[in-house]
Amino acid sequence: MATRSRPARSFPPLRGLLPLVVLLVIWQAVGSERSPYFPTPSSWVGGLSTLAANGTLWRAAEATLLTFSMALVVATVLGALLGLLVGASKRADRALGPTLEFARALPPAAIVPIAVLLIGYDQRMKVTVVTFATIWPILLNARAGVRSLNPVLLDTAKSLHLSWMDSTRKCTMPALVPAILLGVRVAAPVALVITLLVEIITRVGGLGALIALSQRNYLSAQVYGLILVAGLFSFMVNGLVAALEASVLRRRMSR
Amino acid sequence: MTRSSMVTSRRRKALRRANVPGLLTMLVLLGLWEILVRFGVTEFQFLPAPSAIARGAERLLRSGDLQGNLLHTLRVTTLGWLAAGLLGISLGLLLGLSNTAWRYSMASIEVMRAIPPVSLVPIALLVFGFSVRMELTIIVFVSAWPVLVNAIAGVRSVRAELVDVSRMLRLSRLAQIRKVILPGAMPSIVVGLRLAMSLSLVLAVVAEMIGNPSGLGHAVIRAQQALQPEDMFAYVLTIGMLGVALNTLLRFVSARVLPSLATGPGDAR
Amino acid sequence: MVAPVASDHAPACGCRNVSVDLDSTEGPRRVLAGVDLDVDDAEFVAVMGRSGSGKTTLLRVLGGLLLPTEDSTVTFHGEPISGPPDGAVFVFQDYAASLLPWRTVERNVMLGLEGKVSKPERHSRVAEALAMVGLAERATDYPWRLSGGMQQRVQLARALAMRPSVFLMDEPFGALDAMTKSSLQDELQRVQERTHATVVFVTHDVDEAVYLSDRIVILEGDPATVTQRIQVDLPRPRDQLATKEMSEFLRIRRRVYDAIVHGDE
Repeated sequence: MATRSRPARSFPPLRGLLPLVVLLVIWQAVGSERSPYFPTPSSWVGGLSTLAANGTLWRAAEATLLTFSMALVVATVLGALLGLLVGASKRADRALGPTLEFARALPPAAIVPIAVLLIGYDQRMKVTVVTFATIWPILLNARAGVRSLNPVLLDTAKSLHLSWMDSTRKCTMPALVPAILLGVRVAAPVALVITLLVEIITRVGGLGALIALSQRNYLSAQVYGLILVAGLFSFMVNGLVAALEASVLRRRMSR
Repeated sequence: MTRSSMVTSRRRKALRRANVPGLLTMLVLLGLWEILVRFGVTEFQFLPAPSAIARGAERLLRSGDLQGNLLHTLRVTTLGWLAAGLLGISLGLLLGLSNTAWRYSMASIEVMRAIPPVSLVPIALLVFGFSVRMELTIIVFVSAWPVLVNAIAGVRSVRAELVDVSRMLRLSRLAQIRKVILPGAMPSIVVGLRLAMSLSLVLAVVAEMIGNPSGLGHAVIRAQQALQPEDMFAYVLTIGMLGVALNTLLRFVSARVLPSLATGPGDAR
Repeated sequence: MVAPVASDHAPACGCRNVSVDLDSTEGPRRVLAGVDLDVDDAEFVAVMGRSGSGKTTLLRVLGGLLLPTEDSTVTFHGEPISGPPDGAVFVFQDYAASLLPWRTVERNVMLGLEGKVSKPERHSRVAEALAMVGLAERATDYPWRLSGGMQQRVQLARALAMRPSVFLMDEPFGALDAMTKSSLQDELQRVQERTHATVVFVTHDVDEAVYLSDRIVILEGDPATVTQRIQVDLPRPRDQLATKEMSEFLRIRRRVYDAIVHGDE
């Protein structure tokens, strides 16, 4: 079954933000800046600005973004190709099915130590783990896309005597773009979360490493601030991917 | 059709259902792995052969380490999941039933949901230190959200007509909730519970990796740092199998409780 | 014996003793059995029959998109084929699925020519084909901006640009309204007149079949075979009003109706 797309829900009424706002206000009023566990919201900004000033924040954000995008690109290419393979060939689907299902069931967090031991504490390891975790929605959607290709399209290519290369390049792949984009839309948030996960566990660069480091040094204000940044990141990533999807699909508005 | 052809076709159908090519592929891949490592072809210094992993697993089983760690993770996961479920369902019912409450809280819930759960583990570490309490807290806090959101959606999705019917039958509010709204919201709630289960396991493992020094997650890290790849792989496989087992169990139970929800193994998380 | 190519005796396309088995939930099902059909050069043959009678299957066999069982032969200009032959082009009923939504009209028409003819030749053929179907001004539009009838004309133009000797058309006008249908029928007639192409046309519309064709072939039964071949000797060029008032038209029409509704006479 394909990963279903989350319907583009409109955001619920803004007055729903009230509890959060109230919580923050109370926290700010009652809390203390120096509390080791629950520093006031205002201190978060202070903590962040220190990091921003000495460049650490930007370097970390850059590292996270780099890992995230590299992994997403590789996952898209690999996922699309694999999905195309198992979608087009029932035999390949049956043969590879159990292996793929098993791989998919492994929690990414458990993959991290394996990757560390085999590859080491570096960027390659990060990208490998994130790619491994992110490939599944793309693969599943590509597979579903191939299965639901209109047979008339393939017949058209055959009757026009297009070579297999041309037929795949000009007809099949462009027809799969909506499905793959959907997979990417689901995969992007996963990629970000796993990137942060790997960074928190292994502390190899990026926002996650920064969070873990701040926690180790009991700089709680910074931890909270960084989590906010992480949340902002995820919000932006979702928005960007949705915009990308919309712009590519606008040109082919069918019916 | 002749008798013999009928028999062979029945056997062929049974074979088809067992997915022989799939199993064969796995075995072939495992065999390839074994050979590659035995002949030292791979460049990975710490890649153990499947046979070594099997031996490592056997060793861990005999010493009881595997079971001990497995039980810990299992206990924490299920406990956390149950708590998250109860919390999510009760709160979800409340917010789903009252339109005002919904309007004044949904946006906050959406914002909280956007925070990547994994980034909350360091905060839990800060507050609770290296303890089981930390593990449980993070599991409950994070896993409650899918249950909450799905419960709310489920309650609100119970079709207006059904609510009107219950009103026409003059059911008391409690009876209405029990007989119409709760069952109507069940499919959505079950989905939320399943999501929560996988989240619970993942967070338990992560928490054990960087926080609470017990359980499967911690065992994996310890094996990795001690450069014992066979043990590490064995534990990773255990985690994977635990996940599959929990998922299958949930699916089985939910199919029994709600026959209309029976779904296949190819489900997206 | 296989007739030499380009001989006057070889039919444009034909099949002998064609049987086709298709997969179904209960196993292979024989859809066509022992079908013989020859279509001569520049002939317009309509294939008719009830829904599910195998008309589309037969068309796909003639076009090399489907392989029949071993003891059948399918020929194209006398030569046996095992895949879509050069010189035959399909026009599908589902035009929306057959046109590429991410390509403009003119790029769609060009699809079959890419890599086969030079660039200037391609452009001139596309322009010619679009002019023939009256869509020259819409060349740079995307298919979704065009009406159903226009989209089908684009498919037609794409087929025309290939300059085929045989058109294989699967209920091409079935999804269109009456007005568009009649104007496209006349356009098809004009095209055939100009190019002397052979047309094999599947339809379930009796009026359309009698109006357009030189011969009507009726498929019937399960598995299907050719049960009747009806000659249509009406004068050309045909006119939507004048031809349809002729008594000969009505007589043939009645014959075809009886053949389809009542089976073998």
